[in-house]
Amino acid sequence: MNEHRRQILQMLSEGKVSADEAERLISAMEEPSTTKSSEIGPKSGGKDRPKYLRVQVDSEDGDRHDGPTKVNVRVPMQLLRAGVKLAYLIPAAALQKANLAMHEKGIPVDLSQIKPDNLEELVEQLSDLVVDVDQKDANTKVKVRVFCE
Amino acid sequence: MIPFVAVVSLRNQESRTFRLWIPLVLIWFLLLPLGILLSPFIFIACLVCRVNPLRGVAVLWQILNALTDTQLDIEHRTAGVSFHIL
Repeated sequence: MNEHRRQILQMLSEGKVSADEAERLISAMEEPSTTKSSEIGPKSGGKDRPKYLRVQVDSEDGDRHDGPTKVNVRVPMQLLRAGVKLAYLIPAAALQKANLAMHEKGIPVDLSQIKPDNLEELVEQLSDLVVDVDQKDANTKVKVRVFCE
Repeated sequence: MIPFVAVVSLRNQESRTFRLWIPLVLIWFLLLPLGILLSPFIFIACLVCRVNPLRGVAVLWQILNALTDTQLDIEHRTAGVSFHIL
């Protein structure tokens, strides 16, 4: 890395590149290293795995001023992981029927191809999930937020 | 560890909170003999459906264990209900 930096500085001193260009080259050279270090961080244990999936719903009725309606659900990720293991218990005949029904509806998904490992991977990836839904009507205001923490 | 207690909190319009502690451990103790009695039928049902009964029991046990720390809060205007599994 230092070698590249030296080359850029030499090009600058020789007048082959301007100061701005040299700065851009150096910053471009440094970018991958910073992204790499941020990628390494979570794997090396820097970022904690999320423990809960949280669903928050705030609803406010404009006509009524006696307070909003709030729903707050906190589901342990462990429960999701255990829940997807219920897929082990689905009989093959039921999967075939479900596949057939989905094909009839125009959804070409073969449920028998979904392995438990895939489902666990899916749950793992939920850690980056954030869903925000805002709906504002004349009278009502609804806000839904789904995230992992 | 399976959950032993669930707490249900009810808040009325006068902001008075009633908290009910439900000993889930008693429910598990009541369900245990029932499960043992029904186990032959469950075993046969699993065989008919071609599901590994041991795997089924393992999954249900994992779900039961994972219920700990589940929380549900609903507030509607001035009243509210909260359900928390400990």
